[in-house]
Parts: sequence; C-alpha cells; structure tokens
Amino acid sequence: MIRKLVFNAKVVLKQQPKFQLVKHLATNSESPKIVQLQQIHIDEAVKLEPNLSIFTSEVWRRAHETFQNHGLETGNFLRIVTGNPGVLRRTPDKIINSLEIWRACQFGENLLHLLLTKYPELLDVSDSHQLLSHIGFLKSRVSTSKNVWKLLMNSPDVIAQPEEVVEEKLNLMVDVMRLEVPEIVKSCALTLPFEELRCRHAFLLRLGLFKPRPLKADPDEPTTNPKLYQITDTSEKTFATKICHVTLPEFEAFKELYAKELEGKSRRSKEAEDLSDDED
Amino acid sequence: MLKIRSICLLQRRWKSGAKKRWNVLQNKKNNCDRALENFDDFYGSVYGSRWKNMRAALLTRHKYIAMVNNFGDTEQTCSMLEMDGAINMKSLINLALGRQQETTDTMPEQGKSRHEIESKLDSLLRKQQEREVAHIYPSSAEDGSATTLPQQLKYDNSQETQTEDVNQPIEQSLTRALEEDYRLDEHRLVDPQFGTGGLYEYMPAHSIKGMEDWVAESEHYKYYKTNADFPLTIEPEASFYFPEHLSLYTYEMGNCSDFKGPKKCLTGVLSHYLMDGASTLPPLFLQVKPGERVLDACASPGGKSLLMLQTLHLDQLVCNDVQESRINKLRKVLQEYLFDYKDRWACKRLIFSQSDARNLDQYEQFDKILVDVPCTTDRHVLNAQDNNIFKPTRIKERLRIPELQAGILANCLRLLRPGGSLVYSTCSLSPIQNDGVVHMALQKVFTEYGITATIKDLSQQTSLFSDIFKFDHPKGLKYGQMVVPFLPANFGPMYFSKITRNM
Repeated sequence: MIRKLVFNAKVVLKQQPKFQLVKHLATNSESPKIVQLQQIHIDEAVKLEPNLSIFTSEVWRRAHETFQNHGLETGNFLRIVTGNPGVLRRTPDKIINSLEIWRACQFGENLLHLLLTKYPELLDVSDSHQLLSHIGFLKSRVSTSKNVWKLLMNSPDVIAQPEEVVEEKLNLMVDVMRLEVPEIVKSCALTLPFEELRCRHAFLLRLGLFKPRPLKADPDEPTTNPKLYQITDTSEKTFATKICHVTLPEFEAFKELYAKELEGKSRRSKEAEDLSDDED
Repeated sequence: MLKIRSICLLQRRWKSGAKKRWNVLQNKKNNCDRALENFDDFYGSVYGSRWKNMRAALLTRHKYIAMVNNFGDTEQTCSMLEMDGAINMKSLINLALGRQQETTDTMPEQGKSRHEIESKLDSLLRKQQEREVAHIYPSSAEDGSATTLPQQLKYDNSQETQTEDVNQPIEQSLTRALEEDYRLDEHRLVDPQFGTGGLYEYMPAHSIKGMEDWVAESEHYKYYKTNADFPLTIEPEASFYFPEHLSLYTYEMGNCSDFKGPKKCLTGVLSHYLMDGASTLPPLFLQVKPGERVLDACASPGGKSLLMLQTLHLDQLVCNDVQESRINKLRKVLQEYLFDYKDRWACKRLIFSQSDARNLDQYEQFDKILVDVPCTTDRHVLNAQDNNIFKPTRIKERLRIPELQAGILANCLRLLRPGGSLVYSTCSLSPIQNDGVVHMALQKVFTEYGITATIKDLSQQTSLFSDIFKFDHPKGLKYGQMVVPFLPANFGPMYFSKITRNM
C-alpha cells in the first residue's frame, strides 16, 4: 500500500496541470461555489480520468454527498476523485473512516482539505495507529502541527518512509548543515534519498560554497549559503550549473568519486574494528 | 566469534570517546583545516572563481595512472589493463600529434597575462600585512586613530639596522630576519637597586613582547618578484617524442575507475606502478636520451625515477634525497620493480646519494636533472594529518620553502653540463613556489655564477596531453606549465618548467 502511495504521489505531482483545468471548470460554472454535482462535472472528470467512466451516477452522488458532509467542496471532491479514482469504489463508511484518520492529526480542517486535495492518495492510508505515531514523530522534530503539514505538502512520501530514514536525513540537516526548521519544511529535501542529500551537501562544502554556521550563531542571521530548496528541489543539471557554478561532468565525477570514498572509508573502519576485536 | 564488546557493559557516556560540547567542537581545528584556510585566502585571490573547482577536486580522491613495468610480464600486464578499459597514453599522444599536424594554428604565447597575477599577489601581500597589523593593534581600526599605524610589522628590532638595509640592497632573506629576531637590545643598563627580576621581563619598547619568535605570513608573499635583471630568453621547445618502450595506462576523462593492484610477475618484480598521473609529465618532458647521465635531485618516493628507468634509455641515474628514511623508501620501491636489482643495477647504473641537494658539488656533470623539490604538497596537506607542513610548529619551515626551493634549483643549474636541461617541478598551486622560485633561482645563478639559461616553452607539447590532463594555460604562468586538479581528471596539481643551461 505504502509503495503505491509513494508512486501515486509522484503521479499526482505530474498531474498538477489537470487539476488546474478542473479548477477552471469549477470556477467557470454559474456560481463561485458549486454545491450541486451536475452531469457536466462528471463528464469533464471522466474526460480527465477515463477510469471513472465505470461508476454510475448513484455512486457519484453518494460519494459527493459524503465529502460534502465533511466540508469538502465539489471542486475539491472532483480533484480528489480524478487524482485517486479508487475513492469512488469505497463505501461512505470507509471514506469517512479515512477522513477521520487524517482529522486526528489536527492540522485544522482547512489545511487538511488542502493537503488531501493536493495528494488524494493520502486517503488510502488505513492504519491510523501507525500514521498517528509517525505524525507524532515528525511533530517532535519540527515542533508544530503546521510545520508537519508544510512538510507533507512538500514531500508527502515522508509518511511512507521508515522513521530511521527520516531521522537520518533530519539529523544531517539539523546537526551537520545546521539548518533551522522553517527552512527544512519549505523544501522537498525529505523526498530525496539520504545519500543524494549528503552528496550534494558535501559537494557544496568542498567547493567552499556552503559554510557551516558557527555553533552559537544567531539563527536569524542571514547567510550566504545556498538555500535548502535550491539544493534539494533542483535537477542535477540545474544544481551543478546554477547553484554550484560548475559543469555537469564535474558533478557527475564527484558523485562517483564520493561514493567510492565513502565505500573505502566504511570498509577501512570495518577492517579496523575487526582488527581491534581480534586484539581483544 | 566472541567479541569483548558484546560481553562487557559499557556505559553510554564512555561509548563516545569525544566530547560533544559546542565549544570543544568549535575549537577543534587541525592542520588540514589550517591549510585549507590558507589556500582559500591565497589561491582564492590568485585564481578567482576557478579556485572553487580546484578546491573541490583537491579535497576529493585523486586519479592514478598505471605505469607498466618493463622488467615484469609486460604484455600480460598491458592486456590486463586494456581489458579493464584503460587506454595506452602513447596511442592518445599519437592521435593528438596527428591532429596537431592537420591544424597548425598558432598557440597563444606564454606569459601574456602574467601582469594579472602580479597585481593579484601585490594586493594579497598588502592585505596580509594589513591583517597582521590589525591583529596586533586591534583597537585602532575602531577608534579611527589609524594614522600612526606601521605599514607592516617589524619583529626584528630593525630600527638601527634599517638604515644599513637601505645602503646595501641585499635581497630580503627570511633566514636573516629570523636570526635577527634573537638579537635583543643589549645597550641599556638596568639599575641593580630595582632588582634583577625586571631583567627577565625587559623587552625593548620598539618590539612586541611575545612576538620575538614570530614570523609574519606576509614574508612568504614577498618571494614573488617580477623585475628581471638577468638575461632571460623563452623559446618554444622544438620537439617531443614519447619513449618507445614506456607504457602508461589511464582512463579517459570523466572515467573514475580504479586500477587493480600490482601483482608479482614471473621475474619476481611487481607488474605495474600506480602514481598520480601528473607526476609522469616532468620526467617525460625531460626527454631523456640514450647514453645520458641523469640526476634526480629529490627522488623519493621514486615514481619519477622509475619512469625514467622504464624508458630504458638511461645510462646512469643518480638518485639523491636528503633523509635516510626517504632513501630507504626509494630503494625499496626500486628493488620491487627492477629485475636483478643487486647484480645489474645497484651501484652500477643506479647510484644513491644522501645529501641536501643544495650541497651537491659534482658541477657540470649531468646531462639532465629532474628537480622535483619539496613543496607544500597541496593535495597531501589537505588530506593527511601526519607530516603536514601546516602544523603550527613548522611555520618557519613552511614560509622558508621558496628559499629552499630556489637554493636547490640554483645549485642544480650549476650541476648541469652547459647545454644540458632540467625540469623543475612542484605539486603546489602557489605562484610563489612555481614561477617565483624559478625567477629567484635564475637571478641567483646569474648574479653569483654568471650562468644564463633558456626557458623552454612547453605549451605546444602540453596540448598533446590535453585529452588526459587539464592544464592551466596560458593564464598567469610565466615560465612553466601546470596541471590543475579537475574533478573528471583529478590529477595534480603539478607545475613544471623546463630550463636549458646556455652553452
């Protein structure tokens, strides 16, 4: 399920233009707030997502009613079903259930609706206990619910990553890169694999473009370091040429060399450990 | 296997040996950090925006070149290396030669943009001096009374000697400055009634207490002089040939694969020698010909000497180094790679000598000399803690390096037969240790011994290697060529300058 979720999150990111269209459609209809689900809406949605054609109008009406009862407007409902057609297959009880799971995270109704509309796949989460403990863990690291929400808005696959993985990345950003929480939640850094994050950071360090802040420096003091979102939310080419001002071959060579360096280091430390154990 | 660690219970606080308090972490600054800081400052202003690329490359592991041992299973080794995807350098050079003959466009002449580097060094020197002054008189900058600040710090009680200095324009010698440090003011008398305890505390008013032993970093930058008061000719090197029997294997630019380790061959020697690719260039450009007597003035650890031996051209090679341990290291390497070492090589065609290269006195005895002087070894000091010249206690040694290098180079020029040539090389990016030293040495041999020399411009030849190495040509180099570290071809840094002694 989790893998599916991650995958879907990526698909959704690609589908953003489609949503714009639906939104356009929603706002273009007679009133700014549509409360009635009309046939024209369904037709448009089917055009965007052909899989939706199998559902009867009764199913549509029922699902729409359920969402509406929970405060989601028709426009949002349409975006959710086009993004995640599986929702329509569920009984109202199940839908309510998953909405309740998310409501328990206490992001606030408005923000929750934004989150679910952006990533309808999040409705596939079924294990409330696991989700809540994961959200609790995230909250302990980024301090407020709002920050957790921001984090999810930028990198929804965080909830699918094991705690240790997220912890490792957060530790790197907080302890080594010495970044503040607001900067972390503003970027998609957590979607990046740990190795990639570490490699980009190391490259900037060696270029002399990223200076670790002094340990007791004022966090509000502006730095000349590139912003985290510039480091993580860029393609390899943009990162190399625009942020590091080097050529792409140089960055590629560095990635290879750095991986080898780390491999050699871990092998050496392992050997040293074995050796010292032998001596014992 | 039973591990002690799994039996004994270790308290958590003992598990991590190092302290984690912020002030402990912050104060931890090792020799590599010191070196990096120095380089950032120095090279940052010399190379500008290109420094960051070199910086990243220097801090990342470097690339090797494999030199096939002709005394082992040569063909087998070659085919093994070729199977791994390595390319023979000879074929690359031949390709480049063919290409060069097709397009005979003129290369940019050497030394055009050297004014750039001079002004940069000047401003660096000034900046360093200002910083030192500000470091000693920190308050003056704030209260605005900077009018009486000295232009540069005087550590050597030079008030009375200053006038003499003007009269006899001896070149500034750091050694001399250091010797003078210890000569304190002895003219004043202290009245015994105030107790002799004051004597120990007494310092003349015009020197700074605690700084008698101090060497200013800016002294180092003064070695780069530009006024040429000796005859100097620079002419393009006419020919280049790649030694027939030498096989060097490398991966193409961008390929970061590793070579397999050397194996023992049937003859009992090792199959190939792995070395930094850029180190192959100085001995190659020395162009050793059959029947020549060659000196490697600072030979250890022996890669370059071995390369010259592998050309099979040498008549006699004298390997010199200053320390016995280094000679031993060199001997060990050559024993591992030369077949029948004891009978055929030792003391016959291969002679070891242990002495300071400045004191060698077989004048006009050698046809070719390789002068690979001790330097700041930029890559080493950034990556290894031990034997690091940026150790605070070695500051005098470090700042005096250019003097040592110029001494060695000047003496080696005297060891050359008239018409013979030498290659001076360093593995540093510093223009002071490179062009600055060549300049100092040429000046010295001319004023003291009347020796004149010709600089060979190798730019035509280095362009043959441009598929493999990244050269820093022609920016800012007066007398030589330089391989700069570049991530896809992470060789060097290596500066080399070919000098021919005039007849």
